[in-house]
Amino acid sequence: MLRIEKLVKKYGNFTAVNDLSLTLNRGDIFGFVGPNGAGKTTTMRVVAALMKASSGTVYVDGINVAQRPREAKAKLGYMPDFFGVYDNLKVNEYMDFYGSCYGISLSDRKRRTGELLELVDLLDKEDSYVDTLSRGMKQRLCLARSLIHNPELLILDEPASGMDPRARIEMKGILKTLKTMEKTILISSHILHELVELCSCIGVIERGRLVYSGRVEDLMSRLEGRSMIRLRVLSDVDKAVNLLKEQPYITEINGEDNELEIGYEGEQEDMARLLKLLVENDIPVISFSEIAGNIEKVFLEVTKSAGE
Amino acid sequence: MRANRLNNPVLSSSFKIRMRGWKTSLGIVFYLGIMVLIAYLYYITFLGTRSAYQMSVNSRQEIGAGIYTILAVLQFGLIVLITPAQTAGTISGEREKQTLDLLLSTSLSPMGIILGKLLSSMSYIVLLVLSSIPLFSMISFFGGITPGDIITLFTFYLVTAFAIGNIGIYYSTTFKKTVTATVMTYVTIFALGLISFILGLFMASNHYLKNLYPSGDYIPFVLYINPVIGLAQILESQLNGSVGSIIGMGSSRLRYFWIYNSIVMLAIALILFLLSVIKINPVFRLKSRRYKISQEA
Repeated sequence: MLRIEKLVKKYGNFTAVNDLSLTLNRGDIFGFVGPNGAGKTTTMRVVAALMKASSGTVYVDGINVAQRPREAKAKLGYMPDFFGVYDNLKVNEYMDFYGSCYGISLSDRKRRTGELLELVDLLDKEDSYVDTLSRGMKQRLCLARSLIHNPELLILDEPASGMDPRARIEMKGILKTLKTMEKTILISSHILHELVELCSCIGVIERGRLVYSGRVEDLMSRLEGRSMIRLRVLSDVDKAVNLLKEQPYITEINGEDNELEIGYEGEQEDMARLLKLLVENDIPVISFSEIAGNIEKVFLEVTKSAGE
Repeated sequence: MRANRLNNPVLSSSFKIRMRGWKTSLGIVFYLGIMVLIAYLYYITFLGTRSAYQMSVNSRQEIGAGIYTILAVLQFGLIVLITPAQTAGTISGEREKQTLDLLLSTSLSPMGIILGKLLSSMSYIVLLVLSSIPLFSMISFFGGITPGDIITLFTFYLVTAFAIGNIGIYYSTTFKKTVTATVMTYVTIFALGLISFILGLFMASNHYLKNLYPSGDYIPFVLYINPVIGLAQILESQLNGSVGSIIGMGSSRLRYFWIYNSIVMLAIALILFLLSVIKINPVFRLKSRRYKISQEA
């Protein structure tokens, strides 16, 4: 669905994107991760035919974006990280305007507008003026706008940036729905957990180079056998720490006050044995639970080795 | 599935937004109010300077010609003043509002965007100009001015507005800030009007100094880009004066000057329009043989 071949984008002497190649198959959800200024937005803008590449080629569904931009744009929906809205335009008029920009007939525009506003939960706001909506609502509306022509490929540049936690959860819900609709999505975010949960593939870009690209399962497999336990005790923290240090399958112990985070490499039985040991040694355990593996840590390891 | 290809969404959306509020109607009322007030002031001043026995049959035509000239010049001045303000912010304003990328990411062609923006910003000027037609028509009651004269004048207005509109659009695509684009548009219009006039006078006087017995009329080419001369010629021919004598040229070739003037302005407008389309196109490239090769890839 999307093929990027040796993409290079230079601004004078500065190389924003350097020799980036990427392939997304139909239905793939590709998470683009990287620090600010790494080249995520530049790559996405080139894909969306909003910027000319210095060299390299981008194909959307086999269409060369630089040479046939209008045809490529008809197949992709783009949501930028920063965008504005028109004054004096109502939500349904906003959708209608962009629908007409794609040459969609009036009846189809009306139908699509209704469906998409329902998807992003803005149906009750269709007669509201766009500039009166909250930031989260505007983000959702922009997402709906990018879907008005039913594109096969979606390019979402930090779709949840600047949103409060509730709005983030709502946005994540919408993206999960899109996943079920089998759209091919290229999405960038700073929040790795969100991407891992949502994406089928992950790519890390640093200083314009794609330093890691692979399927989420491959990344997750590195977590197998590594777990974290959160332990809360009423007292005797030092005694508990000393006891834990003696166990061979404990890899790390971190914590403050009465709460400890314990890294361990072992089986479920080892975990049960550990709890039993703590209780038998009269450690007043309040809670003992497994927490999600430290994916950021694995991620750093992966990118570090790829970078080297 | 496909909408009417002739329908420009940028234009129709702008129409909807513009006509929604009361500002447009108020603007027209204010605009016409100024014109009526000035016409009325001229009228009572004229009557005040003539006693009843000084009034002749021609006095009525004289009043009509006076009001017509004043309103024609006033409307021209307002077009020159209002058009840059309407057009110079069209693309830079989209950039400032961060809506340009959204527009460019649609299937709308860069030409469609520029055309839509140009026509939508021009629509207000056209509305103002057209709304003054009844006022100009009333002048014909005084005699001396024909409907054909009014059509000629209004055609010239629209051509001038179109040319200035394209200058505004061009700067709007060139500069990121609307303020810069607007200032540059006014500076360019000022340069077109004043510098070409001074240069034209210089060239004409130089020509006549060198040729004491010229075989025909000489019109310096720089004057063809000056719409003020075009307006002066229209008023001159309609009111039977002699602009040629004012600017040092014979009047015979000036008869169709406004048409040549309009053609030159339209040509400049077309060039600027195409340059604007190129500037706004983020992936513009000249088509070459590589196109076919890549299509096969």
